[in-house]
Amino acid sequence: MSVIAAHPYVATLLAGSAAVPKSPAAWLDALRAAALERANALSVPTTRDEEWRFTDLTPLTKLQLKPVTTATALTAADIAGHVLPEAAVRLVFVDGILLPQLGEAGKLPAGVTVLSLSEALKTHAALVEPHLAKLAGDDLFTALNTAFLNQGVFVHFAKGAALKAPLHLLFVAAGQDVAAHPRVLIVAESGAEGSVIEDYVAHGEVAGLTNAVTEIAVAANALLRHIKLQRESGKAFHIGSSAVTLGKDARFVSQAVTLGARLSRNNLTIRQQGEGIEVAIDGLALIAGRQLADTHTLIDHLKPHGRCEQVHKTIVGGGAHAVFNGKVFVREGAQLTDSSQQSRNLLLSDKARVDTKPQLEIFADDVKCAHGAAVGQLDPEHLFYLKSRGLSERAARNLLTYAFGAEIIDRIPVPSLVAKLEKLVMQRTGDNKNGQGEGA
Amino acid sequence: MSTVLDQLVSQPYKHGFVTDIESETAPKGLNEDIIRMISAKKNEPEWLLDFRLKAYRHWLTMTEPQWPNVSYPKIDFQAISYYAAPKPKKKLSMDEVDPELLKTFEKLGVPMNERAALAGVAVDVIFDSVSVATTYKEKLAAVGIIFCSISEAVHNHPELVKKYIGSVVPVEDNYYAALNSAVFTDGSFCFIPKGVKCPMELSTYFRINTQDSGQFERTLIVAEEGAQVSYLEGCTAPKFDTNQLHAAVVELVALDDADIKYSTVQNWYAGDENGVGGIYNFVTKRGLCKGRNSKISWTQVETGSAITWKYPSCVLLGDNSIGEFYSVALTNHMQQADTGTKMIHIGKNTRSTIISKGISAGRSNNSYRGLVKIGPRAEGARNFSQCDSMLIGAKCGANTFPYIDVQNPTAKVEHEATTSKIGEDQLFYFQSRGIGTEEAVSMIINGFCKDVFQQLPMEFAVEATKLLGLKLEGSVG
Repeated sequence: MSVIAAHPYVATLLAGSAAVPKSPAAWLDALRAAALERANALSVPTTRDEEWRFTDLTPLTKLQLKPVTTATALTAADIAGHVLPEAAVRLVFVDGILLPQLGEAGKLPAGVTVLSLSEALKTHAALVEPHLAKLAGDDLFTALNTAFLNQGVFVHFAKGAALKAPLHLLFVAAGQDVAAHPRVLIVAESGAEGSVIEDYVAHGEVAGLTNAVTEIAVAANALLRHIKLQRESGKAFHIGSSAVTLGKDARFVSQAVTLGARLSRNNLTIRQQGEGIEVAIDGLALIAGRQLADTHTLIDHLKPHGRCEQVHKTIVGGGAHAVFNGKVFVREGAQLTDSSQQSRNLLLSDKARVDTKPQLEIFADDVKCAHGAAVGQLDPEHLFYLKSRGLSERAARNLLTYAFGAEIIDRIPVPSLVAKLEKLVMQRTGDNKNGQGEGA
Repeated sequence: MSTVLDQLVSQPYKHGFVTDIESETAPKGLNEDIIRMISAKKNEPEWLLDFRLKAYRHWLTMTEPQWPNVSYPKIDFQAISYYAAPKPKKKLSMDEVDPELLKTFEKLGVPMNERAALAGVAVDVIFDSVSVATTYKEKLAAVGIIFCSISEAVHNHPELVKKYIGSVVPVEDNYYAALNSAVFTDGSFCFIPKGVKCPMELSTYFRINTQDSGQFERTLIVAEEGAQVSYLEGCTAPKFDTNQLHAAVVELVALDDADIKYSTVQNWYAGDENGVGGIYNFVTKRGLCKGRNSKISWTQVETGSAITWKYPSCVLLGDNSIGEFYSVALTNHMQQADTGTKMIHIGKNTRSTIISKGISAGRSNNSYRGLVKIGPRAEGARNFSQCDSMLIGAKCGANTFPYIDVQNPTAKVEHEATTSKIGEDQLFYFQSRGIGTEEAVSMIINGFCKDVFQQLPMEFAVEATKLLGLKLEGSVG
């Protein structure tokens, strides 16, 4: 495969794609080739692109990224702090490469399959092929991910299979200047029930790029909970896209918490392709220092009787910058849709910045849609109330900031994770004393 | 119910007649010679010609904006005539105005002469490109107010025009503003000196009459320290099956403690039910709250035009200044509207309010697009936005694109939006109390728009209510 990219930095990013080993399936090689061609035709988005208006990728293009060949050698002790006792299964990827020795293969009930993508392509190709690269979009970063498609996870919940315990997918960024392109495919057949945690962490203050793509297909009457945590290093770049398609009467819950990375972008696209679907989306970004956290969500109501409730919160300290763009489309014929969206933003310092754009596009008349956005600082009256009860200024500020974020965190149904996040948020708000802290 | 709807929605456009007045039209096309010709015809000073040419040269380097949520065939800017004037051009008093023209305005219900006295409104009338009549000039002059066409102002008060023109909307601001700056032919100029409260409502009436002509008017309103003015603008155009371009620029400047209220009822021809013809209304309106405690308030009722693309904005530069935007935008048939506002908070303790009500019917598409920007130095800035949409029928669209950009933690910004429709149960409620469907719809719509109509001056509020009723009668199925 020759690489003739229109954009020099895209060429750099694509440099290692030729080295990706041939897959066991010809259709996958064709997909990769098409994605490579697509990526070659694109250039790195600039702030002139509406979708990247507030997120400048120039710092990323300064990074001399190299494709990863061998994962940084980590031991079980290195990841011990990230282990979740509730998880049924843990898969650990370091720099995008699966390290089976760090994982934990628990007992799974019949009908639940968790495999590395390369293995799934050998044993479950018929289940993978209808979905892989069919749901994700065609932007540059998704195309890059597909061009490098090799390592990843395949999760399958067969018809009626149910698993209460979450599956834990841990992605550790450990190598300097490494570009990792992890891929996750989650398929829930009709009536199935399950939850998946995607957990992106760092080992050391490394600068690199994690370009993750997740595709989720939830069939009729199935319930899927998707939790995504991102706490990479303060020098890292994280670009993640999740594309979800939902069948009739399906339920989907998305919970995303962003704490890390110098620059992060989280795309979530949900297509309600059947009637009576229920979706809940929670988002929280807690950033400080020079961090930038950008969240773009799109809820596409294509069929009647769909519901969606979304709350996105940001807590922005230091000179950090939070961006939110929430699109809600109600297509012609998607009558009786009930969709609400809230964007709540807390600014902790005078150099912090928030850009929020809740966007509604409605083409059906019998719908209930509302969105709201609010940006502000801690309410002086709330602070006064706490201080009048003997709390110091700092403790009062921390408590209020923490409470603002806790609304989202407390809804995650994994107690050990909630405890971990609460601790992290407490630490962060402590660092953010008067908003001058250098978090991350 | 939908047949009732169809009948009533297809109400003919009342103002769609053409007045047969001989007009002097420039050849179609745009180049430096045309600009020089316009400038020469209007006997303009050198600096204004330079202003136009600078704008034109900049325009050539720009591209048409693609981001609005509207679609239309590419405009051929060489197929437009950039100057059309009613021929008997000399006009000194109302008696000398072409009677055909006066009849036109009578048909339109524009209050001039005695009717103007009753209404207490001073009127400047712009017909195609040229200002034809201004009433009450003397009475206004007595308190020091200058209210005339911008061409007159260029000759009689060049220092004022030169000082303020382009100061709020620079020539390079955007594609259509640059075009306007190059070819604008007339418009209104209003200057309220220090401490003067304008004793009556000022009003301008715009009409496009000639086919294939564009209208590019330029309005400039300056309120000095402590001055107050309320200004009304109305627009109509005849029915043609070709599209006409209207690219106006309105600039408002409010100095310390000044207060400008600008109201628009826009009813340009909207095209027929299949979207043939109609006006492309691509307008740049911006107010600058330059002084401390100044206030600019925009109120608009947008019911006409095939495509509306306008964002009356406030730049809140002075500390404690206030910006307001009240809008009702109604689209029916194939109309497209992408409208909203920008509130740029720069000074301390600046406040802004946005109330936008969008009503879509037929196969139309109605978008609210707004920006609230709080600069890093805007301590204590406050914004409240509310954007509600109402959909009538299942084939129309309503969109909201609010951009919120906050760079100061002491700012408080709130945005709310809802979408609803007139429900069967609401209509049933009215009917069970003996109120017919149409009256019920009109009551619901009036209630929906009440927050905005309250801001309109009396006569306009009545007109706007009637206009909405006319445009929407029975459009509930």
